[in-house]
Amino acid sequence: MLQEILVGLIVLAAFAVCVWKLMPARRRLRALVALDAWAARHAALSGFRERRLKPRIARAAGTGCAGCAANVGIKPHHPR
Amino acid sequence: MDATVSPLRVALVGVPNCGKTALFNRLTGSRQKVANYPGVTVERREGERVSAGGRVTRVLDLPGTYSLNPTTLDEAITRDVLLGRLADAPAPDLVVCVVDAVHLPIGLRLALEVKRLGLPMVLALNRMDVAKRRGVKIDAARLAHELGVAVLPTIAVKRGGADALIEAIEPSRWAATRRLPSPAWPETTAEDAEQLQADVRGILAAVGYTAPAENDLGKRVDVVLLHPLGGLVVLLVIMFVMFQAVFSWAEAPMDWIKAGMAALGDWVGAHMAAGPLSSLLVNGVIAGAGSVLVFLPQIILLFFFILALEDSGYLPRAAYVLDRWMGFVGLSGRAFIPLLSSHACAIPGIMSTRTIPNWRDRLTTIMIAPLMTCSARIPVYTLLISAFIPNRAVGWSNLRGLVMFGLYVGGIVSALLVAFVIKQFAGKRQYSPLMLELPDFQWPHGGNLALGLWERVKIFMNRVGGIILSLMIVLWFLSNYPAPPPGATGPAIQYSFAGQLGALLEHVFRPIGFNWQISIALVPGLAAREVAVGALGTVYAMSAAGDDVAAQLSPVIASGWSLATACSLIAWYVFAPQCLSTLAVVKRETNSWRYPLIMAGYLFALAYLAAFITYRVVEAWA
Repeated sequence: MLQEILVGLIVLAAFAVCVWKLMPARRRLRALVALDAWAARHAALSGFRERRLKPRIARAAGTGCAGCAANVGIKPHHPR
Repeated sequence: MDATVSPLRVALVGVPNCGKTALFNRLTGSRQKVANYPGVTVERREGERVSAGGRVTRVLDLPGTYSLNPTTLDEAITRDVLLGRLADAPAPDLVVCVVDAVHLPIGLRLALEVKRLGLPMVLALNRMDVAKRRGVKIDAARLAHELGVAVLPTIAVKRGGADALIEAIEPSRWAATRRLPSPAWPETTAEDAEQLQADVRGILAAVGYTAPAENDLGKRVDVVLLHPLGGLVVLLVIMFVMFQAVFSWAEAPMDWIKAGMAALGDWVGAHMAAGPLSSLLVNGVIAGAGSVLVFLPQIILLFFFILALEDSGYLPRAAYVLDRWMGFVGLSGRAFIPLLSSHACAIPGIMSTRTIPNWRDRLTTIMIAPLMTCSARIPVYTLLISAFIPNRAVGWSNLRGLVMFGLYVGGIVSALLVAFVIKQFAGKRQYSPLMLELPDFQWPHGGNLALGLWERVKIFMNRVGGIILSLMIVLWFLSNYPAPPPGATGPAIQYSFAGQLGALLEHVFRPIGFNWQISIALVPGLAAREVAVGALGTVYAMSAAGDDVAAQLSPVIASGWSLATACSLIAWYVFAPQCLSTLAVVKRETNSWRYPLIMAGYLFALAYLAAFITYRVVEAWA
């Protein structure tokens, strides 16, 4: 039974990771910004915001593939 | 925010390939990609430097440009940042104009243009070591006097080579000039351009600039490499040798990884009680992610060659040689570097099309970029080649390497054919001549190679440890649940969610020879191509009785599939747009859903058609 519960939790976590990773970059950035706004209202989460959330937001703003994730995004230029 | 405590914003500006990114890495401790050809940076990059006193400098690396009158998107980014036109970025507090000391006249023109904007500026005279070696003489003090700004000699690729610049951009030195209003864009006329050129000539004379000594060996090599026919032969030989080496040299480390994964699977299976957790670890995690991990040595070797060619300065020469041939199908030689980058991953390739000034040429290049054989296809190709192509010598080469080379060439030829078809629909293109500065030849820099390889390994491992692993766990669940009904006679997986989905998809894919296992693997493979191999590993591990399917996937499919099915799957993977990230980037770069939808539609149609024809032909022949 314990094995079943553990496996269930692992599968749920994997599913959440899949959804997160496959989410469009812009929506992921919006989700992170919303999470940051929520965390800002809770003083206990200030360390989490500084150490984890802020760098993630900076990376998500890159919107490229993993190799370009350090790039800072720019507004798309209309081609014509 | 108080100007005295907010970070000093410093922008690095210069002509392409003058060493801005190398300097950026030196200033910020960052590890951005550096290569010996123009157009590597197509977006602004931002990094931070914290001085000993805790003061922060924010450094911006901007795309290279010859002038502030841009002709391409990446050049427009540089101009817009300097003018503070981007909504989220005011004009920089300080501009570091990076000038290649070897080619001072080219950089000086841009430096004068930037100076006219009125922003605080210092000039970094980069590559001073090469300039000295080649007999270039520049009176730096006189240059500083003529320009009215500090001139600092730098060697960006050498440790300590930018110390003077680091000292010069210390925030405390620029406290008085912070947060100036954004400069206005000066309208330039033909007379202004002539005056600028005259000013450049005057300054060059004043500083005693002497042009670099001619590199005789480089010139002789260029006679061969830039020859219309000879250059093409050299390019083909280089590619051929590259793929032979990838297959021959990677064999031993691949065997070690296979053996390691098999031993790990055995060990986990032996030390855990039978149950769902053991099955998840052995059949889901180790069999799935392990079957992708095996391809790491080949990916490292392939990128070693590509990075070495990049750093040597060969790539712009290849672009020059191919310009004429690419012109036949309606592409410009400028498309070569984006298309070459697409061999690593279509995403940076598509982004680097910003260096193509003509919109029609740019769109054509974007549309064909996914046809280049990206590294995510390597696991699929290698698995199928290892399973179906005998490992035997053909002359002095290896048959498997030959097939791999053929697949790469096949991708390129398909891309050129598609470009040709687009040309027929889009009409006659506006002629835009290829203008490329050929960099000096140099031995590949060991540090750059190691850094580039390390980045590729990190990306691959992140994918294996992230999306691939997660998808394999989800797929394991879908392959195990629900349990077969009492009295069921077939393999358990046939009654699972994955089995039912595979049975549905099989109707669509049966005409091209795909069985239900392949049909299932194609679904998670939509996220990223290489996931399909892991998915096959998991599905076969669940439907077979073998203990170490992770290491033995190749023989399992060799005995279970026909040659026609394998060839059909290869044909599918040459064309199929199985990468959601690529489609998302196309949407971003074209600012429209129209083009990613057209791309997905035509690539799926091509993939199905190619797989159908391949399957029927091979089946009839076999």
